[in-house]
Amino acid sequence: MNAGNRRIIWLLALLICLASFGGGSVYAAGLSLYTPYPTVSVTPGESIQYSVDIINQGGAIDVADLAVTNLPPKWEAKLTADGMSVQQVAVKPNDSRNISLQVDVPLDANKGTYRFQLTAKGKGSLPLTVTVSEQGTFKTELTSEQPNMEGHADSTFQYRATLRNRTAEKQLYAMTAEAPQGWDVQFKADGKSVTSVSVDANATKDIDIEIHPAEKVKSGTYKIPVKASSGSTSSQMELEVVITGSYDLELSTPSGLLSTDITAGDQKTVQLKVTNTGTAPLHDIELSANTPVNWEVTFDPKKITKLDAGKSAEVTATIKADSKAIAGDYVVSMSASAPEKSADAEFRVAVKTSVLWGWLGVIIILAVIGGVYYLFRQYGRR
Amino acid sequence: MHPFWVIVQKEIADHLRSWRFLILVALLFLTCIGSLYTAMSTLREAVSKDDAQAAFLFLKLFTVSDGTLPPFITFVGFLGPLFGIAMGFDAINAERNKGTLSRLLSQPIYRDYVINAKFVAALIVISALLFALGFLVMGMGLIAIGIPPTPEEFGRLVFFLIVSVLYVSFWLNMAILFSTRFRQASTSALAAIAVWLFFSVFYPLIVNLIANATFPKEAVTPDSVLSHQQFVQALTRLSPSQLFSEATTTMLTPSVRSLGPLTMEQIYGAIPSPLPLGQSLLLIWPQSVGLLAATAVCFALSYILFMRQEIRSRN
Repeated sequence: MNAGNRRIIWLLALLICLASFGGGSVYAAGLSLYTPYPTVSVTPGESIQYSVDIINQGGAIDVADLAVTNLPPKWEAKLTADGMSVQQVAVKPNDSRNISLQVDVPLDANKGTYRFQLTAKGKGSLPLTVTVSEQGTFKTELTSEQPNMEGHADSTFQYRATLRNRTAEKQLYAMTAEAPQGWDVQFKADGKSVTSVSVDANATKDIDIEIHPAEKVKSGTYKIPVKASSGSTSSQMELEVVITGSYDLELSTPSGLLSTDITAGDQKTVQLKVTNTGTAPLHDIELSANTPVNWEVTFDPKKITKLDAGKSAEVTATIKADSKAIAGDYVVSMSASAPEKSADAEFRVAVKTSVLWGWLGVIIILAVIGGVYYLFRQYGRR
Repeated sequence: MHPFWVIVQKEIADHLRSWRFLILVALLFLTCIGSLYTAMSTLREAVSKDDAQAAFLFLKLFTVSDGTLPPFITFVGFLGPLFGIAMGFDAINAERNKGTLSRLLSQPIYRDYVINAKFVAALIVISALLFALGFLVMGMGLIAIGIPPTPEEFGRLVFFLIVSVLYVSFWLNMAILFSTRFRQASTSALAAIAVWLFFSVFYPLIVNLIANATFPKEAVTPDSVLSHQQFVQALTRLSPSQLFSEATTTMLTPSVRSLGPLTMEQIYGAIPSPLPLGQSLLLIWPQSVGLLAATAVCFALSYILFMRQEIRSRN
């Protein structure tokens, strides 16, 4: 064999060596690393088990330090063999050793292709490719399909939120809401009021959120941030409450006194106060009364065209009692009614008997006394 | 002292020393105790039954009863006339029969002083007795139930006693009238008792008969029933005992708001609430005036009779 032939053999060997690169085995200084599936595709949070054969094709025992290099941050790799963690491997000549490499892909790994190597220091390396097939997360998701609701000030707003734990651990979330003063926000899980919920790893939980607006809330749009937070992760969403304004009406008197007295057959004026206690203006408030039979109540004015929120108007009611009404208390109920809302006020009207007949009695008594006096004069002194 | 008041004083002294008066007082006193006892034993039930009138608990002392003994109000209505008759049935004729009347009139006094003084003395005794009994029941009730009467309740009781005095004085005057008319004390006593029995027993029967007879038979309308009812009520009110019972019931039961028949129109919208004292007084004012007028008429009649009578010494 000449020198040229020898050169060709070397070249062939090099070619074989290069060709075998793709097969995952590396021939270098006597140690080759082999794994059957050097490129895998995983989802975030999975761990990959590589079975790696280290083959010694040399004639002597080879010892090498093992390391995983170029591992992306937060990824973790662990080399084990026979149940032990392995840092070095020694392979007998013409023998191979199997070790396993576990690579933990973090939950929040980004989608993409990652390359790293398992190296036997100075002796060879095994390039490994991992394709993360979807975008990974380490987070919590708090979402609601319908985060906007509209209603009156006195209605209850019920939202349904979904809390998704996209971490690898069970999490205990504290639920908080930053509602304006006077508002009441309640969280309910499985029908019970809660302040915190626990969600298993990669699980979801439905949370009902009940919002009671403040009593005197003005109409408008209110944004209420709702937050679910555990020690390591948190999520926030905004619920939108649209208050259309409330209608409320109150009927009373300026002094608040709802009683009066009246002489049978006579009439009496009562000052009424109609107050719009809602947050929206009311139109066309009509005043009416439910009276005992043959009584009459007239209002001046009969109708209030417009009453702004928080404003009040005074109405004069004239009550006319039946002349046959018996002495004592009667109920006269008056009501102010707008198309949206109405208010009642029950008046206790104490009926007094007319004293006219009483005077007649006095006259009779006087006549009798006069008669007796006349008798005294006529017969008495003789 | 004015001679009139001397006679009044003598008359009062005569009354107080007589056995008749003592018996009557004993009777009334026992009545009081009895009625108070029954009231006490039923007061608890009466209160729990209607809470609306619990405010007038004290008045119940005079009106509630367990059925064994009538309440105070009924006793006064029943024994009051008897008391009045007993005080007056021999006012004039006993003096005449004993011959003391002519002796009395020989004194330098006006003739009408005698009959006036008889009336005034009996009235004072009756008032004192009735007020004493009323206040006695009040006082014992106060000790027993421990709830003091409100000013309104006290006012009602005072007016009740005044009406009672008025009622008793009516019978007193009626008795005095008979005592001037009839020479015999027994005749006048019988006559007065007859009148009393007539009004308390027979008169309601007669009114009932008339009411049944005059009840509208055909084409009964609410109006005709109402007017008939009013007619019957007017008839019953001719009886002084009816006037008295209406007046005292109204006085002691503040929830009584009307004494006549009521139409649905009047009741609709009415709250069952007690009347204030002034309104109750106004309600019984006609009854009081009627009693007062009847009393005055009896007195005037006996006055005229007495003044026109010939008075001679017996011999």
